[in-house]
Amino acid sequence: MLGTRPKAREGAFLWLIKILAGLSIVIVLGIHFVVNHLVAPEGLLNYADVIRYYQNPWVVTMEIFFLIAVVTHALIGIRSILLDLNPSDSFLSILNTILIVVGVGAVAYGIWLALEIASRGN
Amino acid sequence: MMNNQPTPGKALRWFDPRHRQPGTWAFILNRITALGLTLYLALHLIMLGKLAQGPEAYDSFIALAKTPWVKFGELLVISAGLIHGLNGIRIALTSFGIGVTVQRQLFWSFLTLALIGSAIFGYFMFFVH
Repeated sequence: MLGTRPKAREGAFLWLIKILAGLSIVIVLGIHFVVNHLVAPEGLLNYADVIRYYQNPWVVTMEIFFLIAVVTHALIGIRSILLDLNPSDSFLSILNTILIVVGVGAVAYGIWLALEIASRGN
Repeated sequence: MMNNQPTPGKALRWFDPRHRQPGTWAFILNRITALGLTLYLALHLIMLGKLAQGPEAYDSFIALAKTPWVKFGELLVISAGLIHGLNGIRIALTSFGIGVTVQRQLFWSFLTLALIGSAIFGYFMFFVH
């Protein structure tokens, strides 16, 4: 019946961000595996290797971009899973706040960690 | 319109594998792998924090990561990543109207690729490195 259909609560914008973030993850994860496990002969398996790897600013940029894409994709994905449980509007707005806080927190922590590792070069 | 309402008390039906279409299996696999990968993401970000504590903390964590059960868990993560990533490519393509009529074939092909990829990773993790 016309007019009884509930409003789509994910929305086209979040959906598009989720798809684009997902595709970026596929691409960056591919690069990550080639660089970390094929180019580096023994892989990046100890502290010194990781610090050396992070001296390249392109690596730091790529890892931070990757972090943002993964966290965004994961949190929008959790939101779409929870939307299938038909939450009330008030629960959904609390959930949105929690997801934004968790997302901003995770990205801030990750960027701090990446820059901290990069700064430990000899 | 009420078909997606939750039905408490009928949760056992979730575990009944009969009468399911490939699309349902694709959905189930995508969701289980999504939850697993999200859990891994959280653990991964926490464990990488060991890098900030210095060489001893990180290298002793890596020694733990080389034990068989942790490697098995990592193989599950790789398998989940392959299944979720390849199936995600199918979802992205069909979302833009590409390959909609062949999406069953796409799903089975990508799932086969994911299983072959997992087997290759497993071989290298357990028998080469």
